[in-house]
Amino acid sequence: MFNFSLVEFSIRRPKLVIWATVALVLLFLTQFPGIKTDTNPKNMLPENSEVRVWNDEVDKTFSLYEDTIVVGVQNDTGVLNRETLARIARITDAIVALEGVASRDVNSFTTITNITAEAGTLKVGPLMPGVPRTDAEVETLRSALFDNTLLIDRVISKDGKTTAIYVPLEKGANGAVITEHIREIVAVEQGTERYYIAGDPVARDTFGAEMFKLMGIFSPIAGMIMFIAIQLMFRNLTLSLTMMGVAMAAIILSMGSLIGAGYAVHIMSSMAPVFLMAIATDSIHIFNEFYFRYRERGDKLAAIRETMAAVGRPVRFTALATTAGFAVLLFMNIVPVQVFGGLIAFGTIVLRLFSFSLIPAILTFVKDEKIARAVENESTELDRTSRFLRKLSEIGATRPQAVALTGLALVAIAILGTTQIHVNNNLVAWFKPSSEIRVADSVMNQALGGTSLGYLVVESGDAEFMKQPEAMRWLEGLQRHLETLPVVGKTFSVTDYLKRINRVLHDNDQKFDTVPDTPEMIGQYLFLFSMSAKPADLDNVIDPAFQKTNLWVQLKTWDAEAMRQVIQAADSYQKAHPLEVKVKPAGIAYFNLVWNEEVLGDLVLGLVLALVVVFVILALDFRSAKWALVAYVPLLFTILLIYGVVGFVGKDFDMPLSVMSTLSLGMAVDFSIHFISRFRQRLTETGGGTNKEAVREALLWTAARPGKGILRNALLFAAAFSVMLAAPLTPYMAVGAFIVSMMLLSALFTILYLPALVMLGRNWLFDQPKPTADAAQAHTKGN
Amino acid sequence: MKHGWIWIIAALLPLQAQAFSGGELMKQSQAAFLYPGKDFKARVVMKLINKDGHERVREMTMLRKNSGETGGNQKYFMYFFQPADVKDMTFMIHKYPAKDDDRWMFIPAISMVKRIAAQDKRSSFVGSDFTYEDVSGRDIEDDNHVIEREEKVGNRDCYVIKSTPKGADSDFGYKFTWVDKANFLPLREAQYDKKGVHYKQFTADEITDIKGVPTAIRRTMKNLQTGHRTEAAYLKTDYDLGIEDSLFSERFLRQPPRKWVE
Repeated sequence: MFNFSLVEFSIRRPKLVIWATVALVLLFLTQFPGIKTDTNPKNMLPENSEVRVWNDEVDKTFSLYEDTIVVGVQNDTGVLNRETLARIARITDAIVALEGVASRDVNSFTTITNITAEAGTLKVGPLMPGVPRTDAEVETLRSALFDNTLLIDRVISKDGKTTAIYVPLEKGANGAVITEHIREIVAVEQGTERYYIAGDPVARDTFGAEMFKLMGIFSPIAGMIMFIAIQLMFRNLTLSLTMMGVAMAAIILSMGSLIGAGYAVHIMSSMAPVFLMAIATDSIHIFNEFYFRYRERGDKLAAIRETMAAVGRPVRFTALATTAGFAVLLFMNIVPVQVFGGLIAFGTIVLRLFSFSLIPAILTFVKDEKIARAVENESTELDRTSRFLRKLSEIGATRPQAVALTGLALVAIAILGTTQIHVNNNLVAWFKPSSEIRVADSVMNQALGGTSLGYLVVESGDAEFMKQPEAMRWLEGLQRHLETLPVVGKTFSVTDYLKRINRVLHDNDQKFDTVPDTPEMIGQYLFLFSMSAKPADLDNVIDPAFQKTNLWVQLKTWDAEAMRQVIQAADSYQKAHPLEVKVKPAGIAYFNLVWNEEVLGDLVLGLVLALVVVFVILALDFRSAKWALVAYVPLLFTILLIYGVVGFVGKDFDMPLSVMSTLSLGMAVDFSIHFISRFRQRLTETGGGTNKEAVREALLWTAARPGKGILRNALLFAAAFSVMLAAPLTPYMAVGAFIVSMMLLSALFTILYLPALVMLGRNWLFDQPKPTADAAQAHTKGN
Repeated sequence: MKHGWIWIIAALLPLQAQAFSGGELMKQSQAAFLYPGKDFKARVVMKLINKDGHERVREMTMLRKNSGETGGNQKYFMYFFQPADVKDMTFMIHKYPAKDDDRWMFIPAISMVKRIAAQDKRSSFVGSDFTYEDVSGRDIEDDNHVIEREEKVGNRDCYVIKSTPKGADSDFGYKFTWVDKANFLPLREAQYDKKGVHYKQFTADEITDIKGVPTAIRRTMKNLQTGHRTEAAYLKTDYDLGIEDSLFSERFLRQPPRKWVE
């Protein structure tokens, strides 16, 4: 067998194995300086995905910018005073001069287009070309602002205390640098105003910075915690160092190949080091068993060989299950999730290869007397932990019915909880409520029309169609309909310009605040407007052929759900008011919705795939579907329970969580594999009797001895991931909490419920002396 | 220092040009480009072409009458044929040096003449890449003009003049103009934004003599940032037709005389 010879080779030529590993690690380490990060949420879906291609097309048709930074200026006594206005003008001038800013389309008091009529003269031009010098001029500005619905909730809040500067970025501009410059610009100002900087690029860059922090600070901390935990468990520095070394080597090899292959590090893959560190703890079963064997035999090399023979099979199959759990992610639609799945699957394989080469090699160097000292307490009879585990499994073994019924009741409650699960991705909610970006976002959402932007592109088959008054009235009706939704803060379209021009041409008469009556009027008004306004003003809302028009919908929340409501409302409006047009959603809010749905689809697909794959692996391992079913129970139980809690707590079920749940199948099943493999081995070793007493005794032994490995494994896993609970971003926290509870619960359920189930199903499981099962055991022994 | 090499260049120049400073050259150029004749008429067809090659058409008759010297007052009258829904729209500009223009527009759909405030001379002319300033000129006094070098455009010898705005009201940071030494027409103009990025380019694509006046009858303005461009063809161009001053009034905005607009 391959593994057998690998182990033999490694304990015969340990130095070669170690140096080869060191050389390999150094080689992959050379790739690290080339690291790239990608925090653009758009890259969650591939560049050629339908929604991205469509959004690009819409951006092009309507001269829209992909990225806009929003600078909020707030003054409790109102922004309409000479000092604040002077500051706004200064800040706008400075921003316009920044490299990468699409200067001509920056919208602020000094640059946004206003349409007015003064003394019979139509005026289309910047709202505030110069800073007001007298209070009377301030009052004129105030009435201009509040007279124009196009400006309210966009550049001025209804209470007059907040304004915003919209800063679109040129393609390929560096959002982080521009944001930093804007911070410097506003920092110079000395007034009582507060400044808030929000928008997609800001969120992205903040996220990127935090990601690096997580990788650079949290991974090492997780490593330290694990190191201390291992040291406490085994009291042998060499062993602790071995485990850490193996984990580090696997991390470097995996991340090195990721970077070397040219992939950017994304939110998911930034979690990879912590995952690999945790998965590395599976080798605890080797050390665990080695300690027991060494104590029994006293011969180091023999102990290594026997250990590898005993735990080899479960270690291989748990690795297979983990690899498979991550590998199913390769079938998902979300790019970073695919990359992450491949990365961890690769890392797990590397880790397992180390288990059969590097670990045995290092074990040969451990000084005998040191192990002897460390293993003094390592006996199932003496050890407190082992006694506790034995007691725990005894409950399951002696009162299987009660335990099973309690379990069923819990499952019922959990299922109820899962019905409450709310799938949602809200990128801004990934930041903590106290974070600068989240504060800026909520301040702006309260004061103005909303920071999340969606578009509804209304498209006709005919050019010039949008000059028809009925088309424009229809569009206006749609806007009013959408505005009844609580999530919609403001809508904006070409009808707003038309109504405004109509009114202004007719001496500001309120009566004319309507869509003009004839196509000629519409055409001529817009022509007139285009002669004075900035080109972008009209381009943003209507295409040059007047075939497509773009309705802007500002949303007060980044919840993907909000855009779904908008689309549904548009659908029902169209049903009630049929018109020969197509309404197609677009924009970042729509992207988030599509992505959200992909997550849901992925979740279902991933879960089904993982369940099937894990079951097949279990059945292969045990050569029995029945045992596979039994091993399945703690896994399902754990997942259901956690989902139930997620449902009850009301936590959004988002991308990181959905991925976690899929791959957690592969990790949570590990304990069952260890338990059942070792239990059946034990049964064979002790004579193969399947009477109640023999089974019970073997179960209790398994709980006490390999069970200790399971517990140690779970604790280490939990320790490593507990670090993520302190992360500054909520997805990391959620993942941390998820994994910690999953590991602890599945360890508990394995030790409590497997004995109960085996006792309950004893007759079914052992209905006849299984020749195949015996053959399997014999095979394992000879391995 | 600057003056030093300008003198060297000046010494090498042909005699007739020797006396010109940058400002005077630009003035000559404006006279040749925007002020020739007592009056002027053309059928202007503008093609607004986006990056993907989609075209929109603006077609109008443009009439101009000077009153007085180069750089002095001018009156423009425009009658639109295309796009179809703006047919019969008319547009009038009274242009004064060192003062805001007066503009009026007739909106046939509501039969209304409206005065339009001329705040921004840099805004787009009828949705094209040309601004009002590009069509009717910018005050020479608004910029500092320096002769940078001499260069050929095609086979024509040109001065290259750098113009830098004195105030902050312009949207360009500076621009270069290639002025034909022989007829003073601007053959090319490159506008740079305040960050020093070349973003707009004007070219005079075809020049022909009409009643002895060299006239750019095909021109292109290209926005280098958006890839959008406007090609303007000046058809049926004519000078000194004796256009009456009374044409440039609100009355004729509503009912333009056929003989002038057709």
